[in-house]
Amino acid sequence: MNEILEIKNVTKYYGKGSVVTKALDGISFSVEKGEFTAIMGASGSGKSTLLNVISTIDRVSSGEIFIEGARLTEMEEKQLANFRRDQLGFIFQEYNLLDTLTIGENILLPLNLQRKPHEDADRELVRVSEALGVSDQLSKFPYELSGGQRQRAACARAIITNPALVLADEPTGALDSKNSKLLMETFQMMNQSLGSTILMVTHDPVVGSYANRVLFLKDGKIWNEVNRGQRKRQEFYQAIVSVTAALGGELDVH
Amino acid sequence: MFTKLAVRNVKRQLGNYLIYFMTVSLTVSFIFAINNVIYSPQLLQWVEEASSMKIALIGLTIFIALIVAFVLGYATAFMLKLRKREFGTYLTLGMTRKNILSIFVSETMIMCFTALGLGILLGLFIYQGLIMIMTNLMEMEFTFADYSAKGLLWTVVLVAAMFAISSMASARYLKKVSIHELIHGDQMVEKRVKHPTLWLLLTLISLSVVIGSCVMFCKQVDILLLKDASSLGSVFISLFVLAGGLILFHTAVSRSIVNLLLKRKHFCSSGSHTFVLRQLSASLRANSIMIGMIAFLMAFAVIGANASFALRANTRAVLDRDIPFDALYIEEQSDADNQYSPISVDEGEKMIEKYAKIVERLPFAFYTTGRDDLHNCTEWSGEDDLFITESDFNKICQSLGFDPVQLNQEYLVIANDAYTLQFDFSQTEIGAGGRTYRYGGISQDYPHFAYVYFYVVIPDEAVKNMETATRCVAYDLADGKYDGNRLKEELSYTVPGDDENDGPYEMCNYVLKEYNRIRSNSILAVFVVGALYIAAIFLFMAMAILALKILSTLAEDKKRYRVLYRLGADEQEQSKALFQQTFSFFFLPFAIPILLSIPTGWICGRIMKLTGFAAQQTEVYLIAAVIALVMILIYVLYFTATYQIAKRTVIVNNQSGR
Repeated sequence: MNEILEIKNVTKYYGKGSVVTKALDGISFSVEKGEFTAIMGASGSGKSTLLNVISTIDRVSSGEIFIEGARLTEMEEKQLANFRRDQLGFIFQEYNLLDTLTIGENILLPLNLQRKPHEDADRELVRVSEALGVSDQLSKFPYELSGGQRQRAACARAIITNPALVLADEPTGALDSKNSKLLMETFQMMNQSLGSTILMVTHDPVVGSYANRVLFLKDGKIWNEVNRGQRKRQEFYQAIVSVTAALGGELDVH
Repeated sequence: MFTKLAVRNVKRQLGNYLIYFMTVSLTVSFIFAINNVIYSPQLLQWVEEASSMKIALIGLTIFIALIVAFVLGYATAFMLKLRKREFGTYLTLGMTRKNILSIFVSETMIMCFTALGLGILLGLFIYQGLIMIMTNLMEMEFTFADYSAKGLLWTVVLVAAMFAISSMASARYLKKVSIHELIHGDQMVEKRVKHPTLWLLLTLISLSVVIGSCVMFCKQVDILLLKDASSLGSVFISLFVLAGGLILFHTAVSRSIVNLLLKRKHFCSSGSHTFVLRQLSASLRANSIMIGMIAFLMAFAVIGANASFALRANTRAVLDRDIPFDALYIEEQSDADNQYSPISVDEGEKMIEKYAKIVERLPFAFYTTGRDDLHNCTEWSGEDDLFITESDFNKICQSLGFDPVQLNQEYLVIANDAYTLQFDFSQTEIGAGGRTYRYGGISQDYPHFAYVYFYVVIPDEAVKNMETATRCVAYDLADGKYDGNRLKEELSYTVPGDDENDGPYEMCNYVLKEYNRIRSNSILAVFVVGALYIAAIFLFMAMAILALKILSTLAEDKKRYRVLYRLGADEQEQSKALFQQTFSFFFLPFAIPILLSIPTGWICGRIMKLTGFAAQQTEVYLIAAVIALVMILIYVLYFTATYQIAKRTVIVNNQSGR
């Protein structure tokens, strides 16, 4: 077993007193190294909450989370910050890149936070920016780039530290269909060529079809799981849509 | 409907408006207070010179109004920036620009009237506070000062005018700006600095100008005091050069320093330095001229405060030096037989005794040869030389606590200021009483009780055949204050004019220390209060602008710090980054002005020395240090408050990270 992520019986409550919501209800699953996993579900199913607790920006109410054997639930704030810096990569829907930094500076920021020597950092920058096709944009500012280019730069930043796990929260949410496709092909390249383990939250079956495995959440629990196996992406997409239909119709649309 | 929307908007954004509102209200209160001072009928009674001071104070109010217009304009722009996206959204919903302007102007009017009301209320107290400071400086008992209707009117007119100007500027912007710019304009936060090398060069040049102007000022002061009293214009030129240099330096530094630091890869690759530098870059570049103006305000607050206190120390020292006796009778030569003066010396003494007991009485006289042997060595040839006997001089020295002199067939020149020290008397011998007296030296360090450029101490026998020029009597009075103005009035008399074209004029044969002390205090009070008032206004405005600027970007900073948090910066790292960002922005316009305390204190000390008050140098240095410390303390308090607000809003931790 080469598990990168292990979730054991995780529960998360929000609220106090009489107004308490159970966002996650005893979820358990694992992700292996090199997997590309998507989490899908309706609005309020708990998928963003799940991503937040895995990414350490929120705490679980009960249960355990292990990433590369490290138990997140026992870590102090400072340890979690170091863990995020060294072991996790993030790609969000919006406000990904810092608008005051150049693309190159944005990509380098995680290595700066690690205090890596600048010669080594520059080498890594060249490596990832070429792999993600943003090497010509390093001196530009985010506002000078299109949405798709910005997200590719965000991908470069997410992988520059060679993290154990890349977390993506609705990465195509602000993109048009063409750029969404390009971004997903980039994710596939990151997974297949660069060996990144990716956990992605999405509501879009098209986007979900680029993953190897899709977990469906409903009411804070894992309701179903679909694996791509040897199927082509189009067939996998159809399988996802079928499960979605069985789930009860439309997934949340942002 | 739009008024309703405007009122609702003001209520809804009370938090944001609060900072703007406080700034404006306090500004209004300061203006109200100083206008009441200018038009105060009580002040006119107290300060004889007030009618000429009034013109200076009106000029001061107009100057402050300009500065305040700058602050209000900035504060209004700050509010507009917060609302850009909202106004853009209104336009997309179908509101016309006219509608938007109505809302904005209505909100501004609400703010204007509310700030005016509260500002005037605060100003009522600040005005009494100012009067309290002035009466304290004039050593008078504080009485509740009447308010002036003119002062109130002038305040309302000034504030309304300032609001109108800043609203017009904002309205002009709202009329022309595109909807896209309103909604998306804040995304283009980072523009490249054009010609960074040129700005770096300008930084170095302007720093040289600042240093050079300080050196030039010092040299001009030396020339003014030692050589050429008409060179005051050059002194002001060097101050203008300093002002220009300061503004240019800070403008250029704001546009070049971040670029310079970003080139240092080793520095940038460590932690969140790149992030902090880029945070600073946008705000410094966009506000470079504002930062230059703030540095200028701060520098002149430092210089003004130092100058006012140094003047106070100097005035006291001058008084003690120039009027060493509590009272001094000087016989008017043209009226030796008291033709006009109805007051004999005995009668004068009786009048003095009504106010204060005479403890010691020292009669002495000045003599003259009728020649200008010594004045001929100076630029004042034609004036008769004045002599005092060694014994009379030593009696006076003993009375005032100075060391007596011992002359051996020589004479000693006593100079009243450093200017006289440049002349060479060493070749001149005085022939008197059948003897010749050679030059025995020149000194500035003895008491001044003769109102001439210099006089000469000579052995007693030398004056045997000299004419008496003036008879004097010095009095030492018992300690304690008395009404110097009334005593002066009683000792004065009227003398008819010299010819039919001249009217009668007041004369007094007595120099009264207490009278002169009250007079100089009242002039000083206006100057000191005026200078400190300006310094306080400048300091307050500088801090208000900087705080407004920092607080206006908190919403965007919060988003950026959230990204930093997710990338692995813990609360400590974020706090450090925020501190570096806030401190750098706050401190940049403050560093050089505070450092200017050193040359300012040094120059004030030098002026003290050149004017013959070397003993007051330490007091002046201490004043400079205290002023710098007080300003640093106020600045630190303000910075700390701003930083804490920013930290609470911006820093993301595990509780707020979602």
